[in-house]
Amino acid sequence: MFDLIIKGLPLFFTLESVALTAFGILAGLIIGVLPGLGPLMGIVLMLPFAFHLPPIAAMGMLIAIYIGGSAGGSVSAILLRIPGTPLAAATLFDGFPMAQKGRAQDAIGLSMTASALGGLIGGAVLLFFSPLLARFALNFAPPEYCAMALLGVLTIALVSDGSALKGMLVGGFGLVLATVGTDEFTNAERFTFGSFELSNGPHVVAVVVGLFALSEVFFQIEFGGFADRPNVERLRVSFHALRLLMRHKVNLLRSSLIGTFFGAVPGAGGDVSAFISYAAARKMARPGEHYGQGEEGGVVATEAANNGCCGGALIPTLSLGIPGDASTAVLMGALILLGFFPGPELFRSHPEIAGGIFVAYIAGNVMLLILGVVLTPLFGRVLKVPKAWLLPAVLLLSMLGTYALQSSTFDLWVMLAFGVIGYVLRRSGCPLAPLIIGLILGPVLESNLRRSLLISHDGLAIFVERPISAVIVAIDLALLVAIVVSTVRASRQPPEPAATEPV
Amino acid sequence: MRFRAYAYDWVAWILFASVPVIVFWQCSTSLVEQDAAGGGPMENAALYPRVLAGVMSVLVVVQALRLLLGKVRQPSPFKAHPETRRALVGAGLFVVYLVALPVIGFHIATPLLCTGLFLLLGMSIVASVVGAVLLWLATSFVFAGLLNVVLPVGVYNISLFN
Repeated sequence: MFDLIIKGLPLFFTLESVALTAFGILAGLIIGVLPGLGPLMGIVLMLPFAFHLPPIAAMGMLIAIYIGGSAGGSVSAILLRIPGTPLAAATLFDGFPMAQKGRAQDAIGLSMTASALGGLIGGAVLLFFSPLLARFALNFAPPEYCAMALLGVLTIALVSDGSALKGMLVGGFGLVLATVGTDEFTNAERFTFGSFELSNGPHVVAVVVGLFALSEVFFQIEFGGFADRPNVERLRVSFHALRLLMRHKVNLLRSSLIGTFFGAVPGAGGDVSAFISYAAARKMARPGEHYGQGEEGGVVATEAANNGCCGGALIPTLSLGIPGDASTAVLMGALILLGFFPGPELFRSHPEIAGGIFVAYIAGNVMLLILGVVLTPLFGRVLKVPKAWLLPAVLLLSMLGTYALQSSTFDLWVMLAFGVIGYVLRRSGCPLAPLIIGLILGPVLESNLRRSLLISHDGLAIFVERPISAVIVAIDLALLVAIVVSTVRASRQPPEPAATEPV
Repeated sequence: MRFRAYAYDWVAWILFASVPVIVFWQCSTSLVEQDAAGGGPMENAALYPRVLAGVMSVLVVVQALRLLLGKVRQPSPFKAHPETRRALVGAGLFVVYLVALPVIGFHIATPLLCTGLFLLLGMSIVASVVGAVLLWLATSFVFAGLLNVVLPVGVYNISLFN
C-alpha cells in the first residue's frame, strides 16, 4: 500500500498535476451546483482535454471533477430544494429546512466538510483494499475475467434506474456496439458497412458525450426557464462548519463507510448509499434530534455517504477493471485511452500510475475541504447564471471536445446519433449507464471468452472447473435469476403516470 | 391505444430489435465473405456477436410481450412539453451546423450557430451576437491555440490561433 503511494507521489506532485486537480475540484463543484449537470457531465466535458495531458495530471483532473461534482449537488438542494445531482436528492430532507431556518451557510459548510471527510475515509478504504483485491485478481485467467465482465454488465442492468429488462437490453446494445470495427483476432471488419471511419468502432467519447451531454441539452431546452435567476441568500466564507461536524463524528464515520461499501458494489451508486445512510442516521438519532426538520446530522449522513461512494466505486474499477457506475466507467475508459488498462496488471506493471491515482484522489478530497469552504460565496452566484448562457456553451464544448479527439467530423455525427438515441432511451425509462459499461467491458468479455474457449477446446466446462470462475459464474446466474424475478414483479404492479420531468 | 401510450418504448424497442437482425444478417453475409464466420474461437469473428444477438432476441421478444400486454409500469407517450418546438429547432440548427462545418469552416459556422442558439433561448440580438463572438473566440483560443487542434478550415481556408 505505502510503496504504491511512495511511487505515485513524485508523479502527482508536479505543478501541472496539482493545479489541474484543484481546477478539477473547482469545475466539479460548479458543474455539480448547476441543476441537471452532474459529475458525469463534468467528466464527459473535460475528457477530450485529458488526452492532451500526462496520465496522472489527466486522471487527477477527472477524479477531482468526480469528487467536486458529487459534493456540489448539495448546494442547490439546500438553497433551492432542487438537487443539483441525483446524489444530493436525500440532502434536501434536512438541508432545505436548515436554509429556511436561516442556516444555509451552516448547511453548505457541513455538506462540503462532510463530503471531503467522507471522501477521505473512502480513500483510506480504497488504499487498503484495492492492492489486496488486485493481488487476489492475479489468480485470474481468461475464464475469471470473462465471468467478471459479465458480472459488471449484469449488476449495472439489475440496479440501474428503470426495469432490469430494459437495463439488460441497453447493456446488450452496448456489448454489440463494442464489436463494431476490426476484430482483433481475425482482422475481419464487423458491422462497419464498408465505412473506414468505423474500422476502430465508434469512439467511446463520442458515444458518451452524445448519450449524456447532447440529450441533456435537449431536455434542458424542452423544460424552458432560460432566463430564470433564483433568489439566493448571500453566502460567506466560514470554517464554523468544521466545529459543527465534530458533533457528528460517529454519524460521519458510519455514513462514509456505508457510502464506500455501496460504491464498491457495481451499480449501487451514491444516491442509493445516501438514502441508506440517511435512514441509518435517522434510526440512530439521539434524543432531541428531529430528522426532516433541519437536522445537521441529515446533511452529514447523506453527503459523507455520496462522497465516500467515490472512493468505493474506484476499488473495483482500478483493481478488477469493473466500473462501479457510469462515472467510473468513463474514468476507466479515460485510463484505457491514456494507455493503462485497469486491473491487477496496472498494479504489477505500472504501480506508479496506480499510486499516483490514489494520491490524486486523496489530494482532491483535501482540496475539496479547503475550496468547498473558501468558494462558498461563488456557489450562490453560479446558481444565478441563466440557462440561456449555459446551454450553448455546453453544446459547443461537447462538440469541440468530441471533434478534437481525432479531428474527425464523423465523430460529430456519431455524437449526434447517440444524442438522439440517449433522448429516446431516457424518454422510454431505459437507464443509460449499462450502455457505457457494455461498450467498455465488451472487448474484455469477448477476448476472454474466446481465449477461454481456445484453452478448453471449445467446451464451456472451463468456467465451472476453476473454483474462482465457478463462484463468479454462480453469482452471475444468481443475478440473472434476480433480473427475471424483478421483471416479473414489475409486470404485476399497476402502471404509473408518464414521466413529466427529465429522466 | 397501447402503441400511443408506450410510444417511446416502441421506438426504443425498434432500436433494440434491429440489433440482432443486423448482427445475424452481417454474420451470414459480410463475415462469411471475409471467411471469418466459422472455425475455432480465434478464427470465428461471428461467434460472440451471434451469442449476444441470440440473447438480445429473447429479451426483445419478452419486452414486446410486456408492451403488448401493458405490463410496462411507466407509459411513455409522445407528449409535447412547453418548449419542445424550441428544442427541435435547436436540434435542427445543430444538424445544419454539422452539414455546413466542413464547407464554410469552424470560424464562420460557429458564431452563426451560437448567435442562433442564444436568440432561440430568448436573449436579445446584441447579447446574442456579443455572447456568440466571445464563446467562439474563447473556444477557438483554447482548442486551436492551447491544444493545437486543427479546427475545420472549410473552403475559405480560415484558421485562427494556429
